[in-house]
Amino acid sequence: MATAGAAGTSGRTYSFKVVLLGEGCVGKTSLVLRYCENKFNDKHITTLQASFLTKKLNITGKRVNLAIWDTAGQERFHALGPIYYRDSNGAILVYDITDEDSFQKVKNWVKELRKMLGNEICLCIVGNKIDLDKDRHVSVEDAESYAESVGAKHYHTSAKLNKGIEELFLDLCKRMMETAQAEERAKGNGASQSAANRRGVQIVDDEPQATPAGGCCSSG
Amino acid sequence: MNCKETAFQLSESRLSFSDLPQLVLFYSLTRDVLAVCLSIPRWLYSPTEMNQDRLSELEPKTWLSTPPEQQAEEMPNKEPSHVMCSIQLTSANGALCIINPLYVHEHGDDWLTHRPAALQLSSFRRQRRLSTTRTWAGAGIQSKRAISLDQESKAAGTEGSGLTRARSADSPLGPQTPTGVVLRRPSRDLACTIPQRASTGSLSTPTTPGTPEQHRHSSPVPQSPHRVSWIEDGVWLPPPRPSSLLQPPSLELDSLSISSIEEEQECQLAGPGPLHPSAHRLAGKVINRLSAVGQALGGLVSQKKRLTNRVVEMSERKGNAFGEAVKGFVEMTLKGGSDPTGPMGAEYLQEVRSSLSSLREILLDYPDIHAILDSITDLNDSEIDSLVELALHKVALKPVSSHLYSCIHTSRTNDGSFQRLQGNFLLLEKNGVEELGGSKGVGVPDSVTLERIQQRWASMHEAYSPNKKNQILLKVCKSIYHSMSTNTTSAAGAVFGADDFLPCLTWVLLRSNLVSLQVDTDYMMELLDPTQLQGEGGYYLTTLYASLFYITSFQPRLAARQLSVEAQHSINQWHRRRTLHCNKSRRSTHRRTIRRQTAKQNLETETESKSESGGENESENVDVSERHTETSTDAEWRPSENTECEQELGDQPQTTVQSDFQPAMQQEVMTSEQEDKLSVCIETEEAKDDSDGELREHLR
Repeated sequence: MATAGAAGTSGRTYSFKVVLLGEGCVGKTSLVLRYCENKFNDKHITTLQASFLTKKLNITGKRVNLAIWDTAGQERFHALGPIYYRDSNGAILVYDITDEDSFQKVKNWVKELRKMLGNEICLCIVGNKIDLDKDRHVSVEDAESYAESVGAKHYHTSAKLNKGIEELFLDLCKRMMETAQAEERAKGNGASQSAANRRGVQIVDDEPQATPAGGCCSSG
Repeated sequence: MNCKETAFQLSESRLSFSDLPQLVLFYSLTRDVLAVCLSIPRWLYSPTEMNQDRLSELEPKTWLSTPPEQQAEEMPNKEPSHVMCSIQLTSANGALCIINPLYVHEHGDDWLTHRPAALQLSSFRRQRRLSTTRTWAGAGIQSKRAISLDQESKAAGTEGSGLTRARSADSPLGPQTPTGVVLRRPSRDLACTIPQRASTGSLSTPTTPGTPEQHRHSSPVPQSPHRVSWIEDGVWLPPPRPSSLLQPPSLELDSLSISSIEEEQECQLAGPGPLHPSAHRLAGKVINRLSAVGQALGGLVSQKKRLTNRVVEMSERKGNAFGEAVKGFVEMTLKGGSDPTGPMGAEYLQEVRSSLSSLREILLDYPDIHAILDSITDLNDSEIDSLVELALHKVALKPVSSHLYSCIHTSRTNDGSFQRLQGNFLLLEKNGVEELGGSKGVGVPDSVTLERIQQRWASMHEAYSPNKKNQILLKVCKSIYHSMSTNTTSAAGAVFGADDFLPCLTWVLLRSNLVSLQVDTDYMMELLDPTQLQGEGGYYLTTLYASLFYITSFQPRLAARQLSVEAQHSINQWHRRRTLHCNKSRRSTHRRTIRRQTAKQNLETETESKSESGGENESENVDVSERHTETSTDAEWRPSENTECEQELGDQPQTTVQSDFQPAMQQEVMTSEQEDKLSVCIETEEAKDDSDGELREHLR
């Protein structure tokens, strides 16, 4: 994991929007709270608690600002999804490993997201509550092979035990950066700087590096 | 002193601080009486950059109490005028005092010596009157009216220390000052200390023989500046801003503006807790003090004001390109929107938005505007953007806002959405938060909070700037969150996310004026600068929009996938409009210029964190009064230095998303094409899904 010391080489700042989707009670909120509050200086806790959270990371010398949008997962609110996931760079689709329905719900979301946003969006499928493994109703193999089939990555997490969460977000960030960089390359460099900045990725001119304490991502 | 993970707090206190200096400074500024002495290292007398580093490395034990005798030895009294802006420590009768030399300078140091205070008090007063000129007079009269002469002397003292505090905290003259006033420990050997404390907090207490006041007059105790515990009295000042130590508080004049305090007062008035009427009187005085200081330093108008003034001036000047453009914009806008052959509703608002963006371009062509923007060094791009936007709103949107409201209203009436909104309101009105989808036990605002929220909605409707509206929305969301966790019946400390917030917001909306909220929501959704749609403000606006959408399109028969095809379509339309617009408005060379300049300023890190806390601070100011009853969020409390953004500058609270969406032209086309295709897909599938949903619902 890169430390802030290595960060001076490139002064880019990526800003990514990540939307959290998944049925109610699968632990979306706990997951993101765990991630954003656990290891971070409380200066960065947003005013409004738990639905919109931000996190700053430093990944291999590049600074990343994550804005994480939580959504209401109840079925009745399903159709509101597009308002939230528009312009997202990544989506974290959470299910509860003890609840097969919630996995089914994830499949619906994947279908919809791929339709609406194509392959531009990085998908993470997350089986949460692995601390309740004895009540598991979604098999690891099923989940992982499904994820692979739709071009998503699969993770197992426990918000309760703080397992797998850092890895999840770190991986997601790296993938979003790759996607952004690939777009950038595809468009050719330099002249089309703005062309690379599709949907929320913006590259800011070189800037002084954050203090080590400030922006560094703690490795998982 | 406890250290819990990243938070420091004093034992028996529920206030937590992210680091020790903040804790110490907070207690210095609030002048709370602490149960133990806090020992202050000597080098803290005159903080320097170097010391700042040491400061943050201190271990908790460094601050723990040492015997007063030892402190007395360590910290002999200094010449009062030695250093104007450093803390002095003294120790007498077991009480540790931190004395702000400004106070000594103003009022003399007689009280430090052990002479009876009776004689001095009057001379204090005279001196004070002389030195503080007429801004004091009003309050003096007020206090005369309110309280007896005997008490007035005390009130005067209170005011004195209040001013000293305010001045040292906010004056650009002493940016490096830790600004402690009095940190006093109740001396156990003085029986009068406690009653004295009590009476200081309530000035209107009838004077009876043997009141603390008299104790004080006859007491040989050093008459330290009178302490007022804002916290215990239920009257809060805006959080002190000790972290401004390193940053010249050049813009902090605005932090003195009254409205935030007034708002807190209102909060208090509306609050359920019993209150001393005197507390309000006291708060009134504080307001006077603060505004007085603000006026005194008024020569230094903040850059923000300068910008706004300049923009207003330019818009009014004849023959000026910008002025003409503004005039044209206002005329055009007032004509448009109601003509059925022309663009209506959202499309019309998008035209207004793009005209606003053009006006901004014109504005940024002016060198003097550039100069003002360049001189603002402590804001990041997104804040500067919103500064420009706000100035623009004042000249361009203010004259047309009521026309825009009526256009939105007409359009919403014509497309039937108001009718659906009203109709579904009747269906949903009686629903509790659980029936709306909230989890069991989630709290909802009580009637007092609800009343307060209604007031906020009303002021949101009055604001013409979409940025300002958005800020008010954030305040409402904040108090909803607060109610959710405070009034919950489930286990304490539960944290609620979007799963519960959306139902809770819906519950609140069903008890509000839906029509006017819909108008405001449309206004913000269409007129906010696209960059403002990111971040926290954008998130909660999205949630408000979603919630209204939910109500409008509620269909009792279909519990699942309720949004109709039209509703879905309309969402996609909005998405497309805004995506297109986003590209247009970002194609500005000026912005890039500004961005580079800002980047050079090597302030990036500071401004980032600063502005972040700025956004929070705004809501905090309002809600601090709630804090002392609220343990769960105590850890979030932190003094923050910049409230300056609050008043007019609709800065975006979340600057982590400072970089905005800047899609490419090619992508733009692709996206909209893609989307068109997709909305068709969705529509066709929606029909299918509706029955699916119903079926699924039956199975449950």
